[in-house]
Parts: sequence; structure tokens; C-alpha cells
Amino acid sequence: MTSHAKSLSSSRWKHVKRDRYLYLLLLPGLLTIFLFKYVPMYGIIIAFKEYNILLGVFESPWVGFKQFERLFRTPDFITIFRNTFLISLYKLIFGFPAPIILALLLNELRNGFFKRFTQSVLYLPHFLSWVIFTGIIVAFLNPVDGLVNYILLALDMKPINFMIIPDYFRTLLVSTHIYKEMGWGTIIYLAAMSGVNPDLYEAARVDGANKFKQMWHVTIPSIRSVIYILLILDLGGILEAGFMQVFLLYNPLVYEVADIIDTYVYRVGIQSANYSLATAAGLFKSVIALVLIYTANKIVQKSGNNGLW
Amino acid sequence: MNRHSSGERLFNVINYILMLLLIIAMIYPFWYLIMASLSDPKLTSLGGLYLWPRGFSWDAYTTVLRDTSFWSGFRVSIIVTIVGTAIGTFLTAMTAYAISKKRLEGRMVASFFILFTMLFNGGLVPNYLLLKELNLLDTLWALILPGTISAFNVFVMRSFFVGLPEEVEEAAKIDGANDLAIFFRVVLPLSKAVLATIGLFMAVMYWNDFFSTILYINSKDKWQLQAVLRNLIDHAVQSSINGPNGDQIQVSAFTVRAASILLATLPILLLYPFLQKHFVKGAMIGSIKG
Repeated sequence: MTSHAKSLSSSRWKHVKRDRYLYLLLLPGLLTIFLFKYVPMYGIIIAFKEYNILLGVFESPWVGFKQFERLFRTPDFITIFRNTFLISLYKLIFGFPAPIILALLLNELRNGFFKRFTQSVLYLPHFLSWVIFTGIIVAFLNPVDGLVNYILLALDMKPINFMIIPDYFRTLLVSTHIYKEMGWGTIIYLAAMSGVNPDLYEAARVDGANKFKQMWHVTIPSIRSVIYILLILDLGGILEAGFMQVFLLYNPLVYEVADIIDTYVYRVGIQSANYSLATAAGLFKSVIALVLIYTANKIVQKSGNNGLW
Repeated sequence: MNRHSSGERLFNVINYILMLLLIIAMIYPFWYLIMASLSDPKLTSLGGLYLWPRGFSWDAYTTVLRDTSFWSGFRVSIIVTIVGTAIGTFLTAMTAYAISKKRLEGRMVASFFILFTMLFNGGLVPNYLLLKELNLLDTLWALILPGTISAFNVFVMRSFFVGLPEEVEEAAKIDGANDLAIFFRVVLPLSKAVLATIGLFMAVMYWNDFFSTILYINSKDKWQLQAVLRNLIDHAVQSSINGPNGDQIQVSAFTVRAASILLATLPILLLYPFLQKHFVKGAMIGSIKG
């Protein structure tokens, strides 16, 4: 070791000693993360094994890609992959612009009290648990005493049991998702919009721009970087179709359009104790998500905007 | 030139009407449930639009509140929420404070170690097997421990600590305080706002948690309230209970469902007006350094 390297490492050691109490503060958190986040990541190896409950994660025999072959060969695989992709794609297409449009409208409210009140009310559904929220949905859509069917009857139409008809199910998932989350989603956009210089609007107005042109040419460009960041995050989550929501709303009658990778993992893995197969399905999803978020970030950076990292 | 053209005035009118409609769409479901839950069960079978209760009856609430599983779930959720939030907020603050110090050797490695858990995770089955091998299945710790720390919360708190003025800590250091003393006696008291924000995020997460019970718990006396509620909603059927005079009262599934949904939402609805500003603050700190 050169003397320079030696002095560097000794000064490093001095720093560590100086900051020993900081490390003491850091340690419990890192250990918790290690135990509850990294150990399960290590547990993924059972996707390449034939997990045997008596042998445990370490001793179970390796089987290579057999679980993945099994997964790709099950007739369910195409269904769950298609459903996962389509449900999250629809949520992205319809759900991503919703908070932006809502924030643009909220931003135009001039009455401070009314604006704050509206925001408070719109944020509320975000804090309701999915159990409660789906409870409300089911109460409204109930074919016997639900409100929606009462309206259908009043309009001389037949009552519809929305929960069991495949044609309606994805629409139901997407619309209730938007209803629950669009208000909360406005917060970040509103914060970005509040930073826009008011002179820009004045200048646009002098040039004869109406409200929509002002939004399009002033507001949207000012919040573009925020839009990009959130879009990357959403693209990374393109296989997050909303596990809790689907799990609480679906039933065997709509599996063909509603069964997603996560619900499949739960049924096959936990309920039928097919641990290795389910882990393979989960890993397949995680890897695609990781690749997608990385690619989306690269594309945004190439286009000259700030990415996530 | 007129400051507000007629086009802009028209836009404003339409915008306000639109917002009012949205407010009604958000609030009406609760109104509907409150009115339905207070209605006379005999009159609810037709369904329809509720502006006021039809008849009046507390029977739905009596039914839910007499249900021992409701109280058991309530107790479990209170314990899990309080213990989990206390441990979690504290753990998050300690971790975030350490990685907020630029002078700390290995800070980047530790940050990446935490950040990576946002991008990749073990998934359902490995998490389940971990708790199984730790012998935590069917214990309240299974509901508490996995949620105590999240990368997102650590980074929200870190960005708050980075913004604290150095001078205060320097002064304490000159007085001979070590980093532990500074953290507990100087930094934490200055950070009440961010601690409240993160604490509230966690409390809502624990209170709303339903799936941990489904995954990890067998014994009915350890079910969280949301799981009990789900059960009540799923299985509430036309039933009768014994009234105060020993007579049979018909309780419709619908009114019981409405009452149980409302009772489980009550804690959040009651606290919501006070909590909202903290949540918004938290979401914004989080978004700046996402």
C-alpha cells in the first residue's frame, strides 16, 4: 500500500470513528430494510427451484427455468398477462391525463375558500381503504337495492349486475380508479403551477390568447418536467394493475377479463401453495417493470429533460 | 382592453359548475350511506335515491356494535396502527437523519441500498415465506413489522433534514453534545411537522391495511378491522336480531353494510380536516425529491 493510500484509508477510518453515533442511528433502519426487503429478494431464488416446504429455501433442489416453462405453458398465462397489461394501459391512458386536466381547472378557481374546499373534498377518496371504497361501489351497483340500477329502472331499462358481466368489468376498474385517485394526483401539478410567473398569462392575454390557449401555451409547458417524471413512474408501474382493487372486486365470473398477475400469484402461491411457480410469475413481472422504468427514464433523458436519476 | 372577456366569464361559470358537480359526486356516496344506515330496514329493499332516511332506526348500528368481531378488529387495528406508526416513524427518522449528513462515509451506498427497494422487490411469496420462517405468521408482529420502513418515507424525511439550518446543530456540538444527543434533543424537537406528516401517512396505511390479515393471519381474534369489515360486507345477509323487548327486529343486509362501512371510516373522516394539510405538505416534500 502506498503511503498516500494508507493515509487516505486512515483518515477514512477516523471519519467513521468520528461519526460512530450516526452509524448507530443508521443501523436499525438498514437492518430492517435488509430483513424485510432484501431477504425476500434473495427468496426469489425459489423461482429456479422446486420449493419443498420441509427442505426450505436453501435446501430445495434447483430446477433451472422449469417453473418459467410451466408458467408460459399454462393456458392462464396469456390471459393474466393480457389482463394485467390492458388494465394498466387503460388506467394510464385515461387516468394519467385526468389529474392534469383537473389541476388546470382547479388552478383557474379564483375564490380561495372555494378552491381549498374543493381540493379537500377531492383528496378524500384517496384516504379511504380499498375495502371501504369497493364496499361503496358494490352498494351502488347492487342489482337489487343499488342506486345505479334504481336509475336504470327509472329510465325503463333492465337492471344490470355490473360485477359479474365481463364487458363492464375493466371499465368499472378504470373509472373507479380515476374517481379515487384523480384528486390526490393534482397536488403535485398544482404545486408546479403555482410557480408559474403571472406575467406570462398577462402577456398571453394581451396577445389575444383565450383560456385554453393560455393553458396550452403557458401552463402545460411550465409543468412539463413534472409530467415527464410522473409518466416515467407510471410507465414503470405498467404492470401494477391495482392488486387490492382487482382482488376485492373480481370473482370467478369475470376472471377472463380481470385476473391479473398479482391475483394469480396470490391464488397459485398462497392459496394452492405452489410457491415456486407463483414466485416465477412475480419475478417475471418485476423484471419487466424494472426494464420499463429504466427505458422510460433513458428516453426522457435523451429528450433533454431531467429523469428520475 | 377588458380584463375579463365574455369568453373567460363563460369559462369561469362552467368551471365552477363542473367543480360543484364533482364535489357532489365525492360527497353524495357518504350522504347516501348515512341516510341508508339510519333508515328503517323494511323500507330499504326497493333501493333508490336517498336524500333523507326512510323511517328511522338505529338497528343497523346496534347490530354492528354488538358484533364481537367488529370490536376485536377495532382493537387489533388500533394496536397495530399505534405500535407500527410509533416504531416506523422513529426508525424512519433515525435512518433519514444519518443519510442526510453529507460528511457520512458510505452515505451514497446506504442511500442506494434504500432506493433500490423502490425499484425492485421480492414479491408476495418470498415475503410470506420469510415471515413463515421467522415464525411470525398469525402474530400481530406480522401485521406491524414489514410496514415499518419504506424508502419513500425515508427520502421524504431526508429532504426535510437536509433543509435544517446547520447553525443549530453546530451550537450544540460546541457545547459538547454528540450526534445522538443532537438528534434526540435538537433535531427531533425541530422536526415535529415532518414527523407528524410521516406518522400520519403511516397511520393511514396501517389503518387501511387489509391484505396483511389475509396473507399472514389465521386466528379470527387477530384480524384487522378492514378484514372484519370485508367479511361483514360480504356476508351481511337478511338477518334478525333480538330487540330490546325480546321481539325480533328485521335487519336488512344493506343497512348493516352501510353502517359498518361508515363506522370503519369514521376515524379517518373525523380526523381528515385536521390531517389534510399535513398530508398535502408530505406529498409535496416527497414529490420535490421523488
